[in-house]
Amino acid sequence: MTDRISVLIPLRVLEGESVPEGIPDLLSNTHVVLLGYHVIPEQTAPGQAQMQFEERATARLDDYEAIFEEAGATVERRLVFTHDGQKTIDRTIHEHDCMAVLVPNAIGAVDDVLVAVRGTVGIDRLARVVAGVFGPRDTSITLYHVAETAETDEDIGTLLDGMVDRLGELGIDDARIETRVEREQDPLDAIVDAAETYDTVVMGETDPSLATFVFGMPADQVADQFLGPVLVVQREPATDDEDE
Amino acid sequence: MVEQPVDVEPTGQNVAGETPAAEPESVTDDTTVHDDDVELERTIGLIGGLAIGIGTMIGAGIFVFPGLAANNAGLAATLSFAIGGLIALLVALPSSELATAMPRSGGGYYFISRGMGTAYGAIVGLGLWLGLMFASAFYLVGLGHYASAVFAELGIGLPFSPVIGIGLLFGAALTALSIGGTENTAKLQNIVVGILLVVLTGFLSYGLLDAFGVFGRTSVPEQFFSRGYFPVLTTAALVFTSYLGFAQVATVAGEIKQPGRNLPLAMVGSVLVVTVFYVVTIFVATSAFGADQLGRFGETAMVEVAREFLGLPGAVAILGAGLLATFSSANASILSASRAVYALSRDALLPRKASEVNLRYGTPHVALLAAGGPILALVATGRVELLAEVASFLHLIMYGLMCVALLVLRRRDPEWYSPSYRVPGYPVLPGVGALASFGLIAFMQPTSIAIGIVVMFVSYLWYRYYAGDVTLKGDI
Repeated sequence: MTDRISVLIPLRVLEGESVPEGIPDLLSNTHVVLLGYHVIPEQTAPGQAQMQFEERATARLDDYEAIFEEAGATVERRLVFTHDGQKTIDRTIHEHDCMAVLVPNAIGAVDDVLVAVRGTVGIDRLARVVAGVFGPRDTSITLYHVAETAETDEDIGTLLDGMVDRLGELGIDDARIETRVEREQDPLDAIVDAAETYDTVVMGETDPSLATFVFGMPADQVADQFLGPVLVVQREPATDDEDE
Repeated sequence: MVEQPVDVEPTGQNVAGETPAAEPESVTDDTTVHDDDVELERTIGLIGGLAIGIGTMIGAGIFVFPGLAANNAGLAATLSFAIGGLIALLVALPSSELATAMPRSGGGYYFISRGMGTAYGAIVGLGLWLGLMFASAFYLVGLGHYASAVFAELGIGLPFSPVIGIGLLFGAALTALSIGGTENTAKLQNIVVGILLVVLTGFLSYGLLDAFGVFGRTSVPEQFFSRGYFPVLTTAALVFTSYLGFAQVATVAGEIKQPGRNLPLAMVGSVLVVTVFYVVTIFVATSAFGADQLGRFGETAMVEVAREFLGLPGAVAILGAGLLATFSSANASILSASRAVYALSRDALLPRKASEVNLRYGTPHVALLAAGGPILALVATGRVELLAEVASFLHLIMYGLMCVALLVLRRRDPEWYSPSYRVPGYPVLPGVGALASFGLIAFMQPTSIAIGIVVMFVSYLWYRYYAGDVTLKGDI
């Protein structure tokens, strides 16, 4: 049980966000960190919102916890009142060592998954998340790579073979794995287009850049356009834990 | 992560049968943790804390008081501001220790109720709420003076004085904005404080050079104690309102990240920064004009000082800065007053309904109205000096009692009291802080003292009637 991967599900629990259909089944092999949070304006003290809303929020989280446990997941939960939702999510990821964050959308049967492989960096965590979530079920896995112009077929082959090998080590039969390579396209658009025919998407978190600052994180953009759930694999936590 | 246990159990119930809300289990750098995995996120960093402190303070001392203070004490008003700053520092250090031991919302009220019991807590808490209203009304009247000066500058002659009307208008607008607005006002506050500091630094540097004759102009020769020695102290009592802001940092102590480090830095830092600005401002202003003429300019004397140095652009810059500064001070005080209401209602000293959160906006509309409404009535009086002194009186009582609470807690040394910052020079420093705070009250006008005492007495009666059974004191 201990080698389950941790997946964070952030829910704005008092604003009607709930656990969509199919999600408990999708995550039945994982350790779910259920984060119910409520963002309040600065005029309000967090404790003030807590006095008024704790009971209602706790009741909802109780329900969700039960649903996940029934599906077979192990569950840990937090209820946070905050002025800054992003800070709360980042802190929870860090404190609970979450490998991935789920952007919740409804899902039916989990027959196939699109795994966006960007480069060699972070490939190990990507593989562990794929194996942790989809390993014990018979979902077909498609490794998807959008090549840059300078990349040769050889480079791409090495990258994807490496991923297949790593998944094999984690117990996934390579018969279940397909690979797909796209060229000369904007990676983001390509992923969104390709995702349409799949049930769910696994992708990495990208480094914040000016573009992400303006347009939001790519993972969020994909999640907005793709109507199924997206698992966003988190970067290796920074090793300089000076504040711990 | 450093976890600090919290071991205070409030008990009892008020007339309405409400009991104090449960205390959290522990406090970390990032959260306040309640049982059942409920956490309250800390989101204000050091810059945010400093901006609250400086933003609340800088409005009054620089933009409203120079004329009034110079009129009372002459060039020695510089010394009055220095005395005020020293007392504020003597209180800010003990407050920092208390705040790192109890980084919870409510500030001074919380420390005193937990350290010295409910009766003291109620007097201070209700006094803080009312004191912030007086302070806020004072800033709004100051804002009215600056807005009227803008009209005068534009050459628009009005048949009546618009000061109070504008103060009322802004008071109502601020309350409405706090209830209905959910924009990120903290970032705005940081920017406003940044702009103010830049404008003032430029202006004061020029003024200092000028005062020392760099530009070849001879300053008005001035005798330092031109009004005698006693007015220096009465003026210090009057202008102490300029130093109320650092305690507002403690009112949001529950939301400050890494409270052990950031709280002392924000409180002591903001006091030091504004003291320097105040002293230099008064020095520059009195050097430029001499106390008599400065006194005649009244609340907007700084505009004339700027005009003298830099002509019309200078006057416009200071007018703009004055509007921004008084507005941000009034805004910060209304928000702090609403936090004070929440802290009291959490502890069942006010009806729970008072801290209710509006379902549509997520803001504490009852608490904000409870602060905004009376403020308008106070603004309507238009008595700048009286409003300032009553605000100072109620805060000074709290400051003095905070120092006493520190002495009590250190002597009894209960298990739950483990501050990460310890005040140097115990017991002399907090002792002097308490004496200085109470001592300064003696130099106020009799009317202000009388109003302050009535407020305290009524607060005590309210506690006896409404929440006589509530025990908030930590086990000692």
